[in-house]
Amino acid sequence: MMDAGRHPRIELLSNSEVTKVKGYVGNFTVTVKRKARYVDEKECTACNECVEVCPVAVPDEYQQGFSSRKAIYIPFPQSVPSSFIIDMESCLGNNPIACGKCLEACDKNCIDFDDQDRFVDLEVGTIICATGMDVYDPTEIVEYGYRRYENVITSMEFERLICASGPTEGHFMRPSDQKRPLRIGFIQCVGSRSEKRGVAYCGNICCMNTIKDTLLLADHYPDTESKVFYMDIRAFGKGFEDLYRRSKEAGAQYIRGLPGEIVEDPKSKNLVVRVENTTAGRLEEHELDMVVLAVGVIPRHDAPVMRQLLTLSKTADGFLMESHPKLKPVDAPSRGVFFAGCAEYPKDVKDSVTQASAAAARAGILLSQGKVCIEAITSRIDGDLCIYCGRCAKVCPYNAITAPDRKKKQLPIVIEAACAGCGTCAAECPTDAITMKHFTDEQILAQIEAYLAEDPEDQIIIFACNWCSYPGSDLAGTSRLQYPTHGRVIRTMCSGRVAEKFVLRAFELGAPIVLVSGCHFSDCHYISAVQWTQRRIEKLWEKMEKLGIRPERLQLEWISAAQGQKWAEVQRSLEELRKKVTKEEIGETRRILAQERARKEKKAKGRPKAGAVASEQE
Amino acid sequence: MPGEADFVCLRCGAHFKMPYEESEGPKERACPECKSNSVRRVKEKK
Amino acid sequence: MPGAANRNGVRVGVFVCDCGLNIAGTVDCGAVAEYAGTLDGVVAVIRNKYTCADPGQNEIKKAIVEHNLNRVVVASCTPKIHEPTFRNCVAEAGMNPYLFEMANIREHVSWVHQNEKDAATDKAKAIVRAAVARARLLEPQIEAEVAVEQAALVIGGGIAGIQAALDLADAGHQVYLVEKEPSIGGIMAALDKTYPTMDCSI
Repeated sequence: MMDAGRHPRIELLSNSEVTKVKGYVGNFTVTVKRKARYVDEKECTACNECVEVCPVAVPDEYQQGFSSRKAIYIPFPQSVPSSFIIDMESCLGNNPIACGKCLEACDKNCIDFDDQDRFVDLEVGTIICATGMDVYDPTEIVEYGYRRYENVITSMEFERLICASGPTEGHFMRPSDQKRPLRIGFIQCVGSRSEKRGVAYCGNICCMNTIKDTLLLADHYPDTESKVFYMDIRAFGKGFEDLYRRSKEAGAQYIRGLPGEIVEDPKSKNLVVRVENTTAGRLEEHELDMVVLAVGVIPRHDAPVMRQLLTLSKTADGFLMESHPKLKPVDAPSRGVFFAGCAEYPKDVKDSVTQASAAAARAGILLSQGKVCIEAITSRIDGDLCIYCGRCAKVCPYNAITAPDRKKKQLPIVIEAACAGCGTCAAECPTDAITMKHFTDEQILAQIEAYLAEDPEDQIIIFACNWCSYPGSDLAGTSRLQYPTHGRVIRTMCSGRVAEKFVLRAFELGAPIVLVSGCHFSDCHYISAVQWTQRRIEKLWEKMEKLGIRPERLQLEWISAAQGQKWAEVQRSLEELRKKVTKEEIGETRRILAQERARKEKKAKGRPKAGAVASEQE
Repeated sequence: MPGEADFVCLRCGAHFKMPYEESEGPKERACPECKSNSVRRVKEKK
Repeated sequence: MPGAANRNGVRVGVFVCDCGLNIAGTVDCGAVAEYAGTLDGVVAVIRNKYTCADPGQNEIKKAIVEHNLNRVVVASCTPKIHEPTFRNCVAEAGMNPYLFEMANIREHVSWVHQNEKDAATDKAKAIVRAAVARARLLEPQIEAEVAVEQAALVIGGGIAGIQAALDLADAGHQVYLVEKEPSIGGIMAALDKTYPTMDCSI
C-alpha cells in the first residue's frame, strides 16, 4: 500500500470515482470526480489534533461498527494517503455557532470547509478494472439470527475482533458481555452454493478463511474449542490441505452438516446450534458461546454502473465477463480493458495478485507497442441517399454521429474513432444511405438468399449477435447439447444491425421462421443498441399482422454467452414453431411480400433520389 | 389498470399481465410460462 | 469440381476442415467439399485434417498463390476462436484479412447434431453456401493505426488494483490509481491475517 502511495509514476486519486469513459482502446478520456475531502491531503500530517476536539461520534465502518470514529477521521492507521477526511453527513458544519472546532485545532490550516467536488479528465491508453467485491449480508437467513443474536457474527467481523489493530486491540471477546468465548462455531457456505438465498456459486475463499480463523484461535487461545459446520471443505490450493490438516491437529472439530437453526439462550446469550451430522447420521445440538458465519462473496452493488461505463458484460453469476473464459481470462470484451481481482470472480489474495500482475502485463503490452489498430467495422453515410432525417444520430448509442442540418444541407457525420460498429444506424436508416462496413446490406442479404436458395421451408433464419448470442450458440456446441438441425445462423456484430428488410426478405424467400437473438438488456455490448432491436421487432410484429403474416413466425430471444442451454432450448422451440408453418402459408406470405415489394418500387419511381434502394441483390 | 398491460407470448401463446407504462422505453420481458422473450403487448383497441 | 472465377473476377478458395473426428465424425466432409466446388466463384476446394494447424495454414497460403485466390472461406469451427488465426494467415499470403470468411460447421453442426449425420451434412452445405455467398461480396477493409496514450488507469485500490498499478509503474508506465474510498486498501485492509502464510494483510 505504501509503495503505491509513494511511487513516482503512480498518481493516487483516492476518494474519487470514475464518472465517464469516452473513447476507445489506446485513447480513453476518463472523467474522474474527486470528491471533496475538506482536508488538504498533501498538508495533513495525521497529527490527530482535530479528532480530539471533534464532538461527533459515529460507528466506525472499518471496525465493522464495533467501535466509533469522529466526523473528522482517518479510515485506519495505515491509510494511504495518510490524511484525514471529514464525513460531511455527520459533521455539524463550519458554522461557528454549531462547531468548527477542528478548524481551530489544526495548526497547519489543512481544513477547508469550502472544498468542493472537482472533475478531472485523464487521457489513458488502457484501463484495468479492479473494482472488487461485496460481502454477502446474511440477515435474510433468519434461522441463523444474524443481527437478532448478538453473538452471531460474520467472518468479516471476526477479522476485526481478532486483529491487534481492531476495536478490542486483539483481545478477542464476544459482543454480548465482552468475555472471551471458549466455544466457537463456524458455519460454512452462508449465502453460497444455495439456489434459494444468496448465490449459487462457491464463495471460493470461505473454507480457507475459516481454517485460518481456527488456527489463529488455536495460536492465541489454545483452550478455545472450534467447531466447523460444513458441507464440503474445499482446500484445493497450494499449501491449503496442509493448513486444513494443521487445523484438525490443533483440535478444531469438523462436523459435516449445515445447521438448520441457531437458538439463543436469552439469559446467557449462548447459542445452541441444531445440525444434522451427516457423517454420524444423527441430529445434534451444540452449545456455543459464539457463532461465526462464513459469508460468501457477491458482485459489487455498483457493478452495473461500472459495466455501463466500460461497456462490459456479466456472466450468469453477476461478475464481469471475460473476453474468453480460458484463453483471455483477464481481457474484457471491450478492447484495452483488463480485469484484476474479485470484480471478475471471487479470489483470495494470492489469486488477486496473480491476476493483477497478468492484467498489468496485458495492459503493458498495449502501452509498449505504442500503437493499436482500431475497428475497421464502422458505418459510412452516402450523401446522395441521405434525406437529413437525423434518425442515425438519434439511435447511435455512442453519439458517434453528428446530427444533420437539413436547411444548411449539412449531412450527418460519422466520427469513426467513436463508432463501435453495432450497425443500428444502418438498420434504422429509412433510405439505405448508411453502409456498415463488413456487414453491408448486400452481404447479409446474400447470406439470407443463399440459405433460402434450396428447400427454404426447412431453413429457419437466425440472426445472432457477435458478443452474446453467437458465443451462446458456441457454448451449446462445446457442451454437446443436441438440438434440431434446421437453424441457419447469420452473425452480425449486434442485433441492432438486423434491419426490417432482412426479416421481410427472409419471409419473402420462403423462410418459415425467423429468429432475432441478441444480448440481454443489461449485457448489450453496444450500451443500448439492443433496445432499438426490441422496438424494431415490435414494429415488425405490427406490420406483419397488418400484412396478414402471423407475427409468431418472427421470434425474439435474448441469449447470453453463458446460456448455451437457452440457445439449445430455443432451437427446439423454433423447430416446433416451424412444423406448424404449412407450405400454403409460406406461399401466401411470399405472394403478399412480393406484392408489397412491387407496390414500394412503383412508389419509389416517383422519388428518384431517396428511393434508390441499394439492397436488391440477385 | 394503470401501470399494467396485457401481453401475449408469441412462442407458447400464453396471455398474461405485466407492469407497463406508456411513457417507458423498451424493456426486457420474458413469458412467465415458457420464458421466451417473444413477448408482445396486446394493444387495447382489440 | 471447382469452376472458374465468377463474372466479377471473384476467385474463392474453400477449405473444409475435418478437425480430426470433431467434424468429420458427424459431417461428411468429402460431400461438403464436393458441394463447395459447385458454388459460383469457387475455384479451389481443399480438405484438411486440421486447417488451423501449420500444414493447413500452409495449404491456404499455397492455394492463394497457386489459384490466384481473392477470397478464402474456411469451413471449420467458430470464428470466435480461429477467425484471427486465419485472418493473419491470409494476410501473410498478401490478402486483405477482411476477404476471409468462416463457416462454423463444428459448434453449429457436428457437435450439436451428432446423431443426425445426413441432416448435419445438409446443414454444413447450407452454411458453406451462405459463407461463399457472403465471401463473394466481401471488400477489403483497412484497420487504421492510432497511437496509444502512454498512461494507464487502474480503477479500484484494493490488493488487485494496487498490485496492477505497481507492476505497470515499475515497468515504466504512468499510472492513475482511482479509489472510491478515502484510503486504498479495500477489503484486504480489513483482514487480520491472510492464508496460506498466516501473515499480516497490510
